Amino acid sequence: MAGLESFLSAIAGFVTSFAIIDVFWATLLGIVVGMLPGLTATLGVALMTTLTFQMEADRAILILICMYVGAIYGGSRSAILLNIPGTPANAATSLDGYPLARSGQAGRAMAIATTGSFVGGLIGMLALAVVAPALAEFALSFGAFEFFWLAVFGVLIAGQLTALDDPLKGWIAGFLGLFVAMIGQEGIHAVPRFAYGSTDLAGGIGLLPAMVGAFGFAEILTVMRQQSYEVVRGKVGSIWSGVRQAVRYRITAIRSGLIGTFMGLVPGVGEDMGAWASYAAARQTSREKGQFGKGSVEGLMAAETGNNAAVPGALIPVLTLAVPGSAPAAVLLAAMIIHGIRPGPLIMIEFPDFVFSVVAMVFLATCAMFVLGLLLTRPLLLVLRVTRERLMPVIFVLCTVGAFAIASRTFDVWIMLVFGVLGFILRELKYPMAPLILGIVLGDILDKSLRRGLVLTDGDLTPFFTRPISIVLFGSALLFIILSMPGTRRLMARMLARRRNGDGP
Amino acid sequence: MKASRMDRLDFVSAIVLTAFGIAVLVESLRLPRLDHLNVNPYTVPGIVPGMLGAILTLCGLAMLIRSILRGGWRLDLTADTVGGFVRSPSVRRVALVLALTLGYALGLFGWLPFWLATMAFVFAFVVATEAMALGKLPPLPNIAIAAAIAAVTGAGVEFVFERLFYVRLPG
Repeated sequence: MAGLESFLSAIAGFVTSFAIIDVFWATLLGIVVGMLPGLTATLGVALMTTLTFQMEADRAILILICMYVGAIYGGSRSAILLNIPGTPANAATSLDGYPLARSGQAGRAMAIATTGSFVGGLIGMLALAVVAPALAEFALSFGAFEFFWLAVFGVLIAGQLTALDDPLKGWIAGFLGLFVAMIGQEGIHAVPRFAYGSTDLAGGIGLLPAMVGAFGFAEILTVMRQQSYEVVRGKVGSIWSGVRQAVRYRITAIRSGLIGTFMGLVPGVGEDMGAWASYAAARQTSREKGQFGKGSVEGLMAAETGNNAAVPGALIPVLTLAVPGSAPAAVLLAAMIIHGIRPGPLIMIEFPDFVFSVVAMVFLATCAMFVLGLLLTRPLLLVLRVTRERLMPVIFVLCTVGAFAIASRTFDVWIMLVFGVLGFILRELKYPMAPLILGIVLGDILDKSLRRGLVLTDGDLTPFFTRPISIVLFGSALLFIILSMPGTRRLMARMLARRRNGDGP
Repeated sequence: MKASRMDRLDFVSAIVLTAFGIAVLVESLRLPRLDHLNVNPYTVPGIVPGMLGAILTLCGLAMLIRSILRGGWRLDLTADTVGGFVRSPSVRRVALVLALTLGYALGLFGWLPFWLATMAFVFAFVVATEAMALGKLPPLPNIAIAAAIAAVTGAGVEFVFERLFYVRLPG
């Protein structure tokens, strides 16, 4: 009941102040950022963090959440109209959205995506309100051993799920991220590591310049490398019939919302997998399987519900464990720390109202997204007419200024450039970026937890493997490694084939 | 079995990764042990980076073995393949963008007044990339649009950051 009161009072506070204006402009900007191929939600939230870091905490976090929700939704527009996902989270959307647009039903497809995103956002928001306080209480029992395994588990699972074809590359990206976090003064004895006499390096690699580089500059290079895109021209079609049609698939929407929230909750996995897992589940259970990939309303609904449900889902571990559920959530975590909020197991004790304030922010952002998405369907199409040649230099200027703005250091601009070029090369080599960023966030937790744990046990490793939560996390991490080994996969495929043959006539 | 392009790239990146992992391991071992301060040996600064160096080396070796088994070691580096790669439009576009962006961030940003550096960069970027796409200098209206985008970006970003959000810009 106290939670509901906090939620309602936060809503009332936002609605009766100028904050409601922030909700609308930030969500609209998020939709525009998400729509433009090459601008991801991560970049949008990172650049907005550099602009809002002098604002009050509540106002800044509200703007960032609106940008996040808007961008994940906005990516559906370019997925439907260009067959290019505006953000990686909308890749599954293009499978059915684009065929619908090509058949003259672009308006309907956009309305279905909008309704799906709205429902997904609300389901994720409810989960955030219910799960976050309970998880925070549970996480109070975490010690150094559990946090060590949580960091290892997070990097392994993020590496595995963001590089399904080649988990080894996902893990390498994660371990590279953990290494990047080792650069600079360590937290126990204040010894500079890998600094080689540079005071800038001794201060460590900032998460925000690294993210602006890996998700901004690298994306600019990737977009410029590819062929230019063309918008689907022709009839937009009816919008409201799409909303009515979306309501018919409410069971798909609820299931996708729950799956999306769960995928958001898993460290570093986020919206992309939220959409893909929901899409796969919808296809598995659908009566119209043959329509999937050819313009299925159910498939489009599942993908868009799944990715927007993952947004609040990804905020759950941010608030309760200080572990991001996705790349944009990692920026939000950094932003919360900049604004003096300490996410983690103590959040319900130190900042009890903040969790419900975040729930209220997600609610307002989701409502604004729904209203703006439906009302501005046609005007927003103009955004897609901007060519990459004219857009990318402006984005690069924002990346440079954004990297510089946080600490007014030229060194951060260099970090942005290094991570941009490195990120571009790694992407070309099919290494995913999300585990790298998660590694940078979790590196400090891993380092301190392992060393503290070893001090507590005087070098005895047994508690790392015998405490109940440690067993679960360690066992899951081990299982993930074993299951992704080619030998295990072949063995499982053989066993499945044998069972199928045995079951046959 | 003919190796794919990715197998060949994996072979090269695995060598770089293995060398990097070994370097991290060696550098971690060289980090201070703080014996003179009598610190607990389990908290020495090099323990976690050393562990990560070892894991990166193992991962690099695993990828190296995999790429060799798939034939990735046959790099097929002939004058034709290298020349074809360098001359491909996408590589030339990336090279141009890299030259322009690095030139702005390292050469202009902080050295010239922000608005001037930004206007010059945006104008050069739009005109150069459009010229590359068209195969000739863009028509006059396009150049005028490039100048307008440059002016609005230079003045607009400076106004928003310095006047609205009180961020000091260099130059």
